[in-house]
Amino acid sequence: MQLKKIKGQMAAATCALLQVATPVANAAENDWDVDTAFLYYGEADGRVQAAEPAIYMGRNIGDDDRIDLRVVVDALTGATPNGAYAVNGVAQTFTTPSGESSYTIAPGDTPLDSTFRDVRVALGADYTQSLDRMSKIIWGANLSGEHDYFSMGVSANYSKDFNNRNTTLSAGVGYNNDTVKPGGGVPIEFAPMRDQGASQNIDGSSETKTIIDFMVGITQVIDRKTMVQLNLSLGTVSGYQNDPYKIVTVVDDPVAGLPSTAFLTANDLPYVFEKRPDSRQKSSLFLKAVHHLDEDVINASYRYYSDDWGIKSHTLDLKYRYELAASYLQPHVRYYSQSAADFYRHNLVLGTDINTAGDVLVDYASHDYRLAESTTTTLGLKYGIPMDDNSEFSVRGELITQSVNDGAVPAGQETPDLSAIMLQLNYSFVW
Amino acid sequence: MKKTKARRLNLKHEAGYWHGRFMAMASPCEVLMEVEDKKLAARILEAVMAEAQRIEKKFSRYRDDNIIYQINNANSAPVKVDDETARLIDFADQLTQMSEGLFDITSGVLRKVWKFDGSDKVPEASAVNAVLDYVGWSKVTWQDQTLQMPAGMEIDLGGIGKEYAVDRCVQIARSLTKESVLINFGGDLATTGERKNKACWSVGRLITGKDNAVGLFQLNRGAIATSGDAHRFLLKDGVRYSHVLNPRTGWSVPNAPHTVSVAAPTCVEAGMMSTMAMLQGEQAEEFLKLQEVDFWLD
Repeated sequence: MQLKKIKGQMAAATCALLQVATPVANAAENDWDVDTAFLYYGEADGRVQAAEPAIYMGRNIGDDDRIDLRVVVDALTGATPNGAYAVNGVAQTFTTPSGESSYTIAPGDTPLDSTFRDVRVALGADYTQSLDRMSKIIWGANLSGEHDYFSMGVSANYSKDFNNRNTTLSAGVGYNNDTVKPGGGVPIEFAPMRDQGASQNIDGSSETKTIIDFMVGITQVIDRKTMVQLNLSLGTVSGYQNDPYKIVTVVDDPVAGLPSTAFLTANDLPYVFEKRPDSRQKSSLFLKAVHHLDEDVINASYRYYSDDWGIKSHTLDLKYRYELAASYLQPHVRYYSQSAADFYRHNLVLGTDINTAGDVLVDYASHDYRLAESTTTTLGLKYGIPMDDNSEFSVRGELITQSVNDGAVPAGQETPDLSAIMLQLNYSFVW
Repeated sequence: MKKTKARRLNLKHEAGYWHGRFMAMASPCEVLMEVEDKKLAARILEAVMAEAQRIEKKFSRYRDDNIIYQINNANSAPVKVDDETARLIDFADQLTQMSEGLFDITSGVLRKVWKFDGSDKVPEASAVNAVLDYVGWSKVTWQDQTLQMPAGMEIDLGGIGKEYAVDRCVQIARSLTKESVLINFGGDLATTGERKNKACWSVGRLITGKDNAVGLFQLNRGAIATSGDAHRFLLKDGVRYSHVLNPRTGWSVPNAPHTVSVAAPTCVEAGMMSTMAMLQGEQAEEFLKLQEVDFWLD
């Protein structure tokens, strides 16, 4: 047979065979990624219980932009410490924030305000705007509201890829404005809580604070399996930062630590409303590494935080994603420890810190356990089942234990350890 | 939401890409994806698997529930075929013309007398001639998407199917990611585009008589397909009868190369070019040089 050149004919025939538009298996570009979650959080001993349904939705817009939306609802019930501490042999009576009723705590029990009940709704939106192939800005906005607290914020985060996309530098700024509107009005700082029905020490109905945050970060791909990230944040909070529902016990004698019987006049209870500085400078450093093994993934992070209230904290977090046949298991360990704020006080001593006329000789004081020296350990396990249609179901459980180091305080007045469980069900899918 | 039973994907992360594997069309198939996200990799792998399985199911001659079975069992009745089948038959028709009858999708019935099992059972000339009555595209009427052929004849699109599947999967992968994806169905391979940093995909190359890959193909774009089979031949009186059959004579093409690999923009072109080269027998190399394609011969 005479050999002949058929290359051109072959190319034309192949073109006719393959030219038909291919049906796209999955219209990836314009689907919504939806993540629905339900979280239950419960503290032991009848303290805070929270139910939190949440939905997150995100989709690409055009080739490069993206929008992400989220709605989170928190329903909280239960009791929360009011700042006073347990004392043996003495029943303690407190007035509720409205000033219209009171509750009495049995001797030896930690004073909890059980009128705590709230529903919080939070809305958020992020818009990712691609500037060019290598850089983008994420514009963010969030709003949240509950009956006594309202918060709104905006943020912008710029990031740029370098070095064949192996390095990403980012810089961000955030602004938040919060308004607190305590039930019963804003208590006067260091003024005593008064008896139920008596006129309360209230000044105005709302206060505000402003939060400004700056962040710079670098993300570096080390090799195809390892990524590290470093973020530095600086923040400043100015304005009202007290917890309007927290009080500090006034004592006659610090050795016994019993609520004062000699304090002020009739109708005044031996507790004063806390006072914190109206400015706070915060800084933190965050370091994270993600390493892919053959199939499994290790995710480790460390955060150092420090502020001018004297709180320094360390957070270590480790997750290991272990791939099973058609699902995965992810154990989680988190360790958190913090030092106390400079003005964290077990109580105020009559004659030394405060006089019988109510003049306070210290600048600030709070007995909020969240400002105390403490350690928190979290042990968790997540089980996830990725499905064929790009959906995933997961369930996560965590056990959280917190212990507070009160320092040298009279026996029986220690802050009790707190234990809590968290359960989360999650279903994500492409819509 | 549709909920389906979780199925295990064979998907592993390797140096810089996700590597998916599955079996289809009696071949080990692999998909290499230079993407970061495992979910995206899984999505591509699933789409490729689904397409490979769809094509196998639709065009396999080993099934009794597809268009090929209908055609081969029509008993001389005309069979109207769907658009995709028609495009493949049109393509085969053009190849037959280009090759002056050397490429013929009706030649499959010759396998009734030729069993390439490594033995010395070369068929009798009379047996070959008897079967040859049922071979020949010119005996088939093909028009208006309707095919009519004498009873006893069969068509087999197996010679095109795997390469066609690779090219279809390339198109699907391209619709899912801009990053480079390599599709390799039993040695017929193609990539969706160039890799990052000008890297090449390295794919093991099978050489006649060796069970393991010897050497590597370095592919940065386009496709490579290989024809030939190290283990399918007959050996009698010192003569090696390759499994490449000339549909005009019914006999094994003498002195055909053991394997021919060709590089081309698409896997279909590469595959057909290597098949055509095999059919040229000892003129294979000359034929390939004339085509001005990159090729490898054994």
